[in-house]
Amino acid sequence: MSQLSNLKVLVADDHFLIRQFVLNTLRESKIENVQTVADGNEAIDQVQKAKNENQPYDIVFLDWNMPTVSGLEVLSYFRAKPEYADTAFVMLTAESEQQNLMKAIKAGATSYIVKPVSPSDLGKKLYEINEWLKRKRQVSSGIFG
Amino acid sequence: MSEHRKRISLDEPLSRDIANAVYASMRDTFGIKVSIGETHYGEGAASLEGDISGIIGLVQEELDGTLVLSMSTEAMRDILPHALGKSFAVTQDTAIDAVAELTNMVFCQIKNALNQRNFEIKLGTPCVVTGKGHFVCQFHRGKHMIVPFHVDGKLFQVYVALQGSPK
Repeated sequence: MSQLSNLKVLVADDHFLIRQFVLNTLRESKIENVQTVADGNEAIDQVQKAKNENQPYDIVFLDWNMPTVSGLEVLSYFRAKPEYADTAFVMLTAESEQQNLMKAIKAGATSYIVKPVSPSDLGKKLYEINEWLKRKRQVSSGIFG
Repeated sequence: MSEHRKRISLDEPLSRDIANAVYASMRDTFGIKVSIGETHYGEGAASLEGDISGIIGLVQEELDGTLVLSMSTEAMRDILPHALGKSFAVTQDTAIDAVAELTNMVFCQIKNALNQRNFEIKLGTPCVVTGKGHFVCQFHRGKHMIVPFHVDGKLFQVYVALQGSPK
């Protein structure tokens, strides 16, 4: 996976504005394979379904505060499963206080994005996340390939 | 109150925090510039011009207050297509959703700015109130400040009310 345009992305946020904002920014980066969901339960279902169909997501954007199941809970759920180790989970949050960001990192977030974020900063994050994916998959193919 | 914690007050630095938070949210999310009006300071009830208001409680150890971002549906109709495309049809639901998220982004930035200066404030859970020309008032005798903003000729306002129990 070297090109951004090949990435498969899920955006989970209860706010339409942010789902659409991230979707538009991804499309500007030529990423077309993007789905959106509005809560944590839907995110879990969608990520598992994609994996079972052997078409897993490369990146999952998770809003921290969502109804019923939070983004942090979704992150913890998948980080407890080794088969999702090379999926990038990126937290979306309006909180920039260090203690909250540390919580996300400790729970296994690949990265976090503090809202508001500009399309160009989101684009830079995408590049960094893609580099993480490449490194992660090189390691996996080195071990299992 | 801890030794280093500062007491929040309705003043110029807070007004600047509000302006910075609104400016950054509008610039990054919608790619638009807002103009900032003169801050109004007052007491008692205040009338805000808006059909949609995002409201969050603010708590410090010996102080509590309310933060409100109030906007008209018309203003949101002008703003949203900047982020979502010119052909995007803004409904009442999408306008409410956008004000809710804007409220969250703006007030989290204000909290972060204040807490970097040792104010140690906490925010409650945000809620949104809607209704054409609804009236926002505070149920205590504290003071308030209103910071007005204009975008595309439309007014929206950020209101902060505080009441405390000074030692």
